[in-house]
Amino acid sequence: MSFRHILAITRKEFNHILRDRSTMILVVFTPLVMLLLMAYALTVELQHIPIAILDYDRSATSRDFVQQIVSGNDLDLYAQVGSIAEIEDLLMHGDVKAALVIDPNFSRDLLAMRGMPMQVIIDGTEPESGGFAVEHIASRAEEFANKALSTQIQMMGFSADALNPLDLRIRTWYNPGLKPRNDLIPGLISMVLGMPALSVALALAHEREHGTMEQLMATPIGRGELLIGKMIPYIVAGLVNVVILPLLAISWFNVPFNGSFPLFFALSALFMFAVLSMGIIIGVFMKSQAAAMGVSFLMIFFPGFFLTGIFFPIVSMPEIMRLESLGMPGTHYATITRGIFLPGVGMEILWPYAVMLVLLGFSFTGIASLFFKKKLG
Amino acid sequence: MTDTIIQTTGLSRNFKKTRAVDTLDLAIGNGELFGLVGPDGAGKTTTLRLLAGLLSLSEGEATVAGYDLRKQSESIKKHIGYMAQQFSLYAELTVLENLRFFADLYDVPKEEMAERTENLLQFARLTEFTDRRAGHLSGGMQKKLALACTLIHEPKILLLDEPTTGVDPISRREFWDILTNLHLNGTTIIVSTPYMDEADRCSRVGLIYEGKLVICDSPRKIKAELPGEMVEFLTDEWQKAKTLVENLPGVLEAQTYGEALHLLVDDGDKRLKQITKALTKNGIEFRGARIAPVRMEEAFISLIQRLEDDNG
Repeated sequence: MSFRHILAITRKEFNHILRDRSTMILVVFTPLVMLLLMAYALTVELQHIPIAILDYDRSATSRDFVQQIVSGNDLDLYAQVGSIAEIEDLLMHGDVKAALVIDPNFSRDLLAMRGMPMQVIIDGTEPESGGFAVEHIASRAEEFANKALSTQIQMMGFSADALNPLDLRIRTWYNPGLKPRNDLIPGLISMVLGMPALSVALALAHEREHGTMEQLMATPIGRGELLIGKMIPYIVAGLVNVVILPLLAISWFNVPFNGSFPLFFALSALFMFAVLSMGIIIGVFMKSQAAAMGVSFLMIFFPGFFLTGIFFPIVSMPEIMRLESLGMPGTHYATITRGIFLPGVGMEILWPYAVMLVLLGFSFTGIASLFFKKKLG
Repeated sequence: MTDTIIQTTGLSRNFKKTRAVDTLDLAIGNGELFGLVGPDGAGKTTTLRLLAGLLSLSEGEATVAGYDLRKQSESIKKHIGYMAQQFSLYAELTVLENLRFFADLYDVPKEEMAERTENLLQFARLTEFTDRRAGHLSGGMQKKLALACTLIHEPKILLLDEPTTGVDPISRREFWDILTNLHLNGTTIIVSTPYMDEADRCSRVGLIYEGKLVICDSPRKIKAELPGEMVEFLTDEWQKAKTLVENLPGVLEAQTYGEALHLLVDDGDKRLKQITKALTKNGIEFRGARIAPVRMEEAFISLIQRLEDDNG
């Protein structure tokens, strides 16, 4: 190992990143933009779903009920209609996502405690909004029924509590209020920080495509020197984002950061080593940038989505996928980021994940240098 | 001949279905300027890559600068300067940064760096472009910088794969002046080229055809191998003239160069008379009919044509 050789490669690569605008954007800004976009896209709350209401009852009670249904900002009354045909028309044009039909016997049955006959029609091509409408109409209806009936029950000599036999008290630890962003953003950070792996794979493929790799192979540089020299600038670039992204999460998204930042930084450096080694493997095997790009998405980002447990709990996966997820640096790093952000745990809990990152890093680098030959063809 | 610096015996390299280099026996002496010629796809690039240690040998033996190419291909690398056909510099680095980069990889002693880069820049006439990015240089300047980068460690052997392809004639001339200087200083140079005027400047030329070395000699002797002599005349009606003379007895080949018609004939004096007679009889005006010296170009084309005829 010659320090001079490694330094030469590292310096050259830094110059490439700093002077080539597209590489600069890919390395430094893409993780930031990805985090912002995904944080917003994935935590969108549905609001103002337009619905139509057809009231066959036309009683004071049913009018109250309609008022209650559209009282929040979740459902908007688009139109009160007079026939099913009108509902069909509105659904067809996509003007409403759901329609509520109130039965002629609505108020009579409700007050006689025989139920509350009504029908909800939803647009099945948009199950997301339709389901949302059904859920919200149902909960409003329940509230409405409770209020309407509690007076009657009290008149009959019962306590109004009889309507709510279950007294469940839920306490959410670590993320009070179950704010989805608080959990999602640390997970997303762990995913977008894998971006430098793509850059390093592309950088290796770039040298092959441009013929500079052939020139490097004709020099006495060692294989390990070349790979390590190539990796260092991308680790540094990744660590810049390790500082920027948590700051963004804390200041912009108000995500609490309860753990130790130096620990987060140190474990992030381990993750960079592991995930970049994966990028190096891709760069060693793929001959063109297009192929490197495709395989990086398959090997790094696709599993990042599905196997690391950010969106789908690993415990509910089939055995084989659980095993595969253990081989992904992102799985362990996602646990580390979430652990440090929310409960603020330290090494006493996180050490096995740190060990895994080191193991993966060394095995990947080993595989890469084993298959990286200073030969063409 | 001086001592041999590159020696191959039965050197072969197979790719999936093709045999790119086929039992090549080559002996190159220390300090030679050796030209490698042959049609596209003949195996020139593969030969140079094998000698540079960039491809493993399928069969045969080879030694380069005293190292066994099979077992010591890494040790060879510090003694050679290799310039690939598509030599590409780091476009984002400046001229000086590119030179320093290769100096680092070849472990050029730090105290000699300044002097060597200075000399090479002067040598390649790039001194005033030191801080320009390689990507912003002209094609000819890029080639000269590439050559400078392969010379930074003062290699004993230079392997150059079509270094002047796609370069304007003036840069090409400059490039070859540099090579000639290196040759005079004792560097062994092996250069592949599609240009026959360049082959003419080599001390020896090897012609590769379908992976085999078909001829290997000095340009003078290769030209002497041509069966017959060259007859040249100038005419404005060269199309008519060509159809007329190429079927005359004793005319082996006919090539046109602008208004000049070159004919390869079996006997120069005898055929020159016949041809002038035939042209006059048919009323074709011409001038400057003479027996011309054979150029490498004709010798090469004639050789290739004979090889292709033999193959059917």
